[in-house]
Order: sequence, then structure tokens, then C-alpha cells
Amino acid sequence: MSISSIADVEFGAQLPPFTPDTSLKNVRAFAEAVGWGGGRFDSHELARKEGLPAALVPGIMGMGFFTTMIQRWSPEATVVNIDTVFRAPLLADEACFLSATVTDIEEEDGLVELDLTIKNAADETRVFGTAKVQFSPT
Amino acid sequence: MSFGILSPDPTPKTTTNRDLPAMVDIDDLKDRFLNMEFDSKGFKLDAQRAIKIAQATGNELPCYTDPKHPQLQATHALLASLASGRRLPIDFPKLGGMVVDGGKAVTLSAPVPLDVELTGRTHLHDIYDKTGRSGRMVFLVARMEIYGPDETLLAITDSRMVIREKPTS
Repeated sequence: MSISSIADVEFGAQLPPFTPDTSLKNVRAFAEAVGWGGGRFDSHELARKEGLPAALVPGIMGMGFFTTMIQRWSPEATVVNIDTVFRAPLLADEACFLSATVTDIEEEDGLVELDLTIKNAADETRVFGTAKVQFSPT
Repeated sequence: MSFGILSPDPTPKTTTNRDLPAMVDIDDLKDRFLNMEFDSKGFKLDAQRAIKIAQATGNELPCYTDPKHPQLQATHALLASLASGRRLPIDFPKLGGMVVDGGKAVTLSAPVPLDVELTGRTHLHDIYDKTGRSGRMVFLVARMEIYGPDETLLAITDSRMVIREKPTS
């Protein structure tokens, strides 16, 4: 169920899971559209030549996954701020798991704050951050 | 168009703090570079590429993916991409060590339209350091303010660059 009003938001709630497409093909498409085609985002082989374990998912793609997750949860809300820390790289063709938790609700201002995390299959945190989501006044 | 900051001495000064190896003086960097606009450029965000970026992140909202949507706009990831790379004043000293992309932040004031002339103005918003078990790391936050055709502030993107200093001994 999507959230359309801040009155429906519960403190501590987890947003519904969202499984992003981290396939190399999709990562390559993202990188090319951003203007970062070639190299570490394009091929495992090229990434390994740079000393990396495999092709990387760009950090900002992780930010994109977060905003998608939030907007699937509440298509009416606006992500007015998102701040992501790239703790360690995400690898293409490897599964990752996003989570978002409601950590603050300011009903008067219509603002909800979320804590965000992306972990890999080994349960290691790769990206974390926060987001502020604006709901229309009720 | 780019504007570099005019500074007579790009050579980093060093601190004599006995707890740390000789290194760049953060206060000196702040005095010389903080909050001084060093880049200003006009650009347009291409709608077709913006839609591909939204789709690759799984976003299906029409305001990001439908070319006929009246408020077709840039995703946060696209805006964050504008702040990537080594974005520093041309005379900013080389600090040594490896530069790592430490993270990105985007703050929206209004939807950022596509295929419209925009202006991005960049300054160093913050400079700070942290010392941990593996030594000192210097954080540089480059902030780009994105303005619409009528000079309305639409969005702010922050790019955190992290530099792990090389110990001198």
C-alpha cells in the first residue's frame, strides 16, 4: 500500500522492500546515460584491470535506488533532501538490499525523515544516508 | 565558462601540531578557499538521457519517465552526477593521498526541468578533517547551486571528496 498522507506514516516503520537491478547491463546503461561510459562501470574485465574486484555500481546509482524506493512507498511525496555516504563500492551483478526506516515525523511541517542503508549479500553496509520527504499539508 | 580563484600562493602550508604528521593546515585552506565561487557554467539537461537514468534506477513515475509529462524533471541521481569529479578551484593545493568519492547530497527547492537553460555555480562549502586509526582524512565538500532561467534556485548538490593523507614519516 502506498502512503499518500503524513497521517499514514508510522514512526519506526520500514519501507516496503525494493530490489534494484544491479545487472552489469543495467549499470552500463546508467553509466552511459550519465556520461560515465567505459571503464569500471562498463565491464568486469576493465574494472579488474584497475585493481577492482569487479565492475562497480556508481554511488549515485545507489542514491537513485533509494529515491525510487521512497517514491514507490509514497508517489505523492517529494524527496526534498537525500544525503548518501559511499562507504564501500557496490558491485555489478551482485545482489544488494535496501532498507529505509522512518526516524522522525514532523506533522506540522509535513516532513518525514528516513534512515537509509544498502547492504550486500554478506550483510556489509556499502551505502548509508538519510532523506527528508515532504508531504502536502493535510 | 569557468572562473578560478586568484591566489598568489598555491603551495600548501603545514601545521606543526605534534599529534599529527606535517600536513595541510585546514584553517588556512578555509581562509583561502571556503565559500568562494570557483565555477559557473550554463548547461541543459538532456531529456532522453534523464529518462534513461530514471529507468535504470527503477523509477516509473511519469514526471521522470514520460517525455510528454508537463513537469518532466531531473532525478536526484542525475543532479548528483553534476557534482562528480574533482571539483576544486584551479589553484587548490594538491594534498597528496588518494581522492575518494565520499558521498553526495541533493536538496531540492523546486523541480529541475529538462532541456532548459540552467546555471550551476560551485563553491567549496566545507573543509574539515577527521583523524582515525589509519591516519587523518581531509573532507572537501563542493557545493553546486543550480538556478533556473529566471535565476530561481532550484537545487543544491553537495559532493564530498575524501583524501586520506600520506603520512610524512
